[in-house]
Amino acid sequence: MTSPSEPGEGLNGNGLAGRYYGRGIPYLPIEGYPGKLIAIEGTDGVGRSIQIQLLREWLEVKGYGVIETGWTRSPLMQPTIEVAKSSNTLNKLTFVLLYATDFADRLEKEIIPALKAGFVVLSDRYIFTALARAGVRGVDRQWLRNVYGFAIAPHLVFYLNVDVKTLIGRVLESRGMDFWESGMDLKLGDDIYDSFRAYQVKLLREYQSMADEFHFRVVDARRPIDRIQDELRRQVAAFLEPAEKSSEPTLAPLTR
Amino acid sequence: MTFSLLHATDFADRLLYKIVPPLKAGMIVLADRYAYTAFARDATRGVDRQWVRELYSFAVRPDLALYFRVPIDVSVDRLMARRVKLKFYEAGMDLGWSTNPLESFRMFQGKVLDEYDQLVQEFGLEVIDAKGSITAQQRYVRTLVAQHVKTSHAEMIDDEPV
Repeated sequence: MTSPSEPGEGLNGNGLAGRYYGRGIPYLPIEGYPGKLIAIEGTDGVGRSIQIQLLREWLEVKGYGVIETGWTRSPLMQPTIEVAKSSNTLNKLTFVLLYATDFADRLEKEIIPALKAGFVVLSDRYIFTALARAGVRGVDRQWLRNVYGFAIAPHLVFYLNVDVKTLIGRVLESRGMDFWESGMDLKLGDDIYDSFRAYQVKLLREYQSMADEFHFRVVDARRPIDRIQDELRRQVAAFLEPAEKSSEPTLAPLTR
Repeated sequence: MTFSLLHATDFADRLLYKIVPPLKAGMIVLADRYAYTAFARDATRGVDRQWVRELYSFAVRPDLALYFRVPIDVSVDRLMARRVKLKFYEAGMDLGWSTNPLESFRMFQGKVLDEYDQLVQEFGLEVIDAKGSITAQQRYVRTLVAQHVKTSHAEMIDDEPV
């Protein structure tokens, strides 16, 4: 209903870490909050959760206060999203808006208070997942970026990068393919395997296209869990404790 | 923000299921409140004005938008005459401006009305003086609607020769 917005007013990669990307939330100023926001991005089944769990333990041992937040985990919206997914009434617009509402709730009630209190916030997925999923479904990119202009630019974004072949192997070995992760709503194919493959290829392409713009730190997620964790820890340590970087002891191999 | 986004989600759902299909079929859709309500209400709650407008940019622009304007005193008197209990969000109680529902309603809705006045200019809303009698209002509404309906009807006949 309005004329197209001028570029730069919504979400774009020029956001300063710890600040709002776009117009932000006027009644919640966040400048100068001591906490740090670290996002772990990557497609379904790439191994984000285990990496976050290990990062959290390590950070807590080092004395940081850590909270985790994850996509669709808001108490306000989770039940609604589950109901909407299980019925057939969702379309791409309401899909986007439900996710955005969930994110707004977690931002106001979890992320911002934690940043204010000086926590390290580990975000299992961030808005880039929403942008990728909606992008694949053909939602207008500029509109999406305007809507998510209230998001905070993370201090670090790790992108767990994987190829579709490795991904398929991992997903089949663990929990199998599910309807939404296979993009079955897009009717890419009747066969869930074909659909999963086609959908994930598109998703990976969307993530890739955002990597430069939003300063993703791309991590090769085809490697073993402890190798990936080592790299994450090295980068997080360098960011959180730049002065101590030289005295950082070599990370002990993970025993799992 | 969640208040704003939840309403936008509901609106998107209604737009796609209840508004767009009848419009495509050439029917007249009467919407009791539209995106303008969100513009006025969300801005009063401190959400960025431009952001809300961009959020609703997927909405269809109405052919005719009527704004029934009343001073806050008339609005309060009418509500009080009908019922005693004001709704929590309608009274803006979530903003914590006053613990007295009526006082809060007055402050909140007063600001909402100020926002509407800005929208009249921005979106060319047709203002109807809602202090007057229902009959007088309805006559004026019919005049306005008749202009639009006649025009579009004529166009349709021209467009689709039998």
